[in-house]
Amino acid sequence: MEGFLMQAGTTRAKRQPAWHILASEFSEATLNEKGSGEYDPSFVITKLGAKVNRVVVAGLLERLEVRETSNGSSLYQGQMRDPSGVHYFSVGDYASESMRELTLELVKKIEAGEPVLLLMVAKSKWYQTDEGAIYTSLRPEEACEIDAQQYALWLTRTCEDTLQRMKHFTDSLSAEPTREGMVAAEIPEHMIDGLLVARNHYGDIEIENYTLNIMQALDIAEGRMEAASQPVAAPAPSTDADGESGDAAAGGENEVKDTIVSIIEQLDQGDGVDFETVLTNTVARGFDRTLAEEKLDELSNEGTLHEPRFGWFRIVA
Amino acid sequence: MACRLSCSYPWRSRECTVSTNPHESPQPVLRTGPERTRLAEVIAMSEKYETHVKSILAECPDADPEAVSAAFAKYETEFFIPPQDAMRSILRRFKGETTPTPSSGSSGSSGASGGSSAPKPTRKVSRLSELKGDDREIEIEVEIISHNIRNQTIRGEEKQIAFGLLEDNPWEENGEKTRWEFKDWGPNSNITPGSVVRIEGASVNEYQGKMSLNINQSTRIAVIREGTRPIVAPGEPQDISTLPSDGYVCIVGRILATRPDQIHRKDGSGSIEVIRGRLADETGTIGFLSWEPLAHEVGTLLKIEGAQVRTFRDTPELNFGRTTKVEVYHDKNFADVEALSEQTMVTLSELRDGAKDVDAIVQITEWAKRTFTKDGEERFLWSGQIADPTGRCRMSAWNELPITEDQLPLTVRLKGVRVRAWQGIPDITVDDADQVEILDAPPWDSELDLKNHTVEVALHELSTGASRVGISTSALVVSVREDSGFILRCTECRRVLREGVCADHGPNDGNSDVRLRLAIDNGLSSVSVLTNKEATLSLLGMTESELQGAIDDVGQVAFVQSLRGKMLGRKMNASGRSIVDEQGAMLLADGASMIEEDAGLRATEIRAQWRVS
Repeated sequence: MEGFLMQAGTTRAKRQPAWHILASEFSEATLNEKGSGEYDPSFVITKLGAKVNRVVVAGLLERLEVRETSNGSSLYQGQMRDPSGVHYFSVGDYASESMRELTLELVKKIEAGEPVLLLMVAKSKWYQTDEGAIYTSLRPEEACEIDAQQYALWLTRTCEDTLQRMKHFTDSLSAEPTREGMVAAEIPEHMIDGLLVARNHYGDIEIENYTLNIMQALDIAEGRMEAASQPVAAPAPSTDADGESGDAAAGGENEVKDTIVSIIEQLDQGDGVDFETVLTNTVARGFDRTLAEEKLDELSNEGTLHEPRFGWFRIVA
Repeated sequence: MACRLSCSYPWRSRECTVSTNPHESPQPVLRTGPERTRLAEVIAMSEKYETHVKSILAECPDADPEAVSAAFAKYETEFFIPPQDAMRSILRRFKGETTPTPSSGSSGSSGASGGSSAPKPTRKVSRLSELKGDDREIEIEVEIISHNIRNQTIRGEEKQIAFGLLEDNPWEENGEKTRWEFKDWGPNSNITPGSVVRIEGASVNEYQGKMSLNINQSTRIAVIREGTRPIVAPGEPQDISTLPSDGYVCIVGRILATRPDQIHRKDGSGSIEVIRGRLADETGTIGFLSWEPLAHEVGTLLKIEGAQVRTFRDTPELNFGRTTKVEVYHDKNFADVEALSEQTMVTLSELRDGAKDVDAIVQITEWAKRTFTKDGEERFLWSGQIADPTGRCRMSAWNELPITEDQLPLTVRLKGVRVRAWQGIPDITVDDADQVEILDAPPWDSELDLKNHTVEVALHELSTGASRVGISTSALVVSVREDSGFILRCTECRRVLREGVCADHGPNDGNSDVRLRLAIDNGLSSVSVLTNKEATLSLLGMTESELQGAIDDVGQVAFVQSLRGKMLGRKMNASGRSIVDEQGAMLLADGASMIEEDAGLRATEIRAQWRVS
């Protein structure tokens, strides 16, 4: 009967393969899966049906900052941009020594304003709030700085894999939503489970934006930077927290408030939205946490929000 | 205000995606050649980035426009980052490090719709007794006890419905268990008797005080353990190639081989007479062991009900016992012995540990007589290397074969030989000289030098197949382990010492060795790679003392980080032998090299292949 326990997931599973994936596909994922065994891998499942436990991602390191956590350890949070969007990642005390050393070096470079192209192999992480919102992020296992040529290669590989997934996704639409149906439609084995649950969860989706991402990524890989470049429409609005430039700061503060209100609007499923969720979402949209906390209090005091119970916020109807 | 626990999550939800502007159709731009002068380039740059520079200046009025423009140019030319993507980094740099990065006006991702699309919350229970009659959307892990399908007419439509019994508390071997009936309106094809499944989103049905579980089409079934309990299959015969690795089955097959054998009881209390042999149908062959007398001759077609499949090493075998029903079967169209026998012919890449009655055509490339002493008696064993176009392995014979070294390489047909694995690699054992027939010429291209032949194997095939020798594969490096470099091996068993200690032989000085510990991956499969000293040094382009110097200079961690800079995310080819077991596949590489690729070329190919323009 020893096989009994082994199959219940108490043995270490085989190493999970790494998916080449664009930030847009990963960040739009809101579906996850975790087996019951101690060593069962956990997955983020994307709209295209990729069951992602590990990724190979690359891009411009845009931010990397240390945050002190409540238990006194250091957590480095960063974001990395590719042509399709941004990956959020964190490096904590749990990371390997080499990953932590690299992180310290990268922080210095970012502080000095040096451009850094990074490639990382990372585990996908997800967390679900009580409201059902899914938060995804990455935990790099290993990473290295790369040059533009290696970045271009990563882009081509990622485009090719994404195109392949888009084809499987499109093929799967005309298949019966069963394992047998997928096999009959020649969907490869490694995509079947993901596509079945993705279709069920995401319903009808548009994949045109991925095509646009790929077109731009291929332009870059071919060195056609003119084609990949876009003018900006208007100066980026400021959300400056330290109020050094009067008008801009006021605009920024209103933007924080608007953002907070819209977050609560979106996430409230009847009981309100908890403090931490509001703040995490606001910070993730690029606002300063202290400022967000301040504005949340203000909104509460001025009567835009109320707290039906402590720490839970609702919009006053 | 009271203190709020304020730990920050690294998580992020999709509704807060800060995305770039959707890609607008790029305006056609004349491609300019490298002949442009440096000056023209600078002017073109500042014009080109005009709107981007203005955006930055709006935020940082004191910044030097030329410096900002130069920064955009640097991101674009040196790092392939288009200006709209470099905006935030450049803004950050000119603003200084203390200010938080604001989101640009382009926030609001495409198609974000809040948390409302999150999965319906299911209520997780571990026991059926926790459920009430009106519970919906529940999640529970159960073992399927029985599973039947019946046709039912629903609203004039013929539909299949599955029903049966399930049992909670599936993991506790002798724990208290509750059984309920269930109905599966899907019906889900992955519900099979004996399996343990997680049912997500089922509802409870209470009828006249009796509780049952309703599984609907939207219910998700995750199989956690495939059915392993012996289930007596109904009388429908199965194909040999689709037999499970465990359980009771019914098959129809022709006897290819049969011979009496004895099994000696371990306690020395005597022996049992058994019959061993092999059965075949058109899909494959399988060995059998009958504990009951079986008088049927080679060529007889049999229907066998209630045979038990047991898997020894990697090879399944049928067991016939007291309850097994064996009867002669009549089917004029069933293939004859000769046709069926061809299926026992395998290539070396198909060898599985524990296989018997194997036929193969191989080339013997090395052959020698070895002497050893057992129980004070001198004995002989003949062994050497064999190969076919799919791979290489060792072969041993307990009797002298009519082979001399000057005849090598020599092609032979092997009949009814056994396979045993040594260090994970399947080897062939020949028990009798008459199992070997010498052929005049190989059935493949005789120019092929099999002795040094390396077979290119796709990574997925390598990771799911048997252990093999003489293979090479290509994939991307996804891990360079921190213990890559110099290691100490136990002087007794060559195992790697952990802090100067061998798990078996205790502390010892060890012998120095060099290796890299890597993982390679193609998005489908992952294989760990250990490169030996020779392969490591040739891959790094260093001598052993240069390597030692490089590590001494920067330290182990920085050395490994430098390897990642050269290898991570890049394609490599590794050759050697593979060992495949439940933990996955490992490639012991005696050769390794990085593969250079041209991104521009690949991008153009991808455009053509996928018609992305």
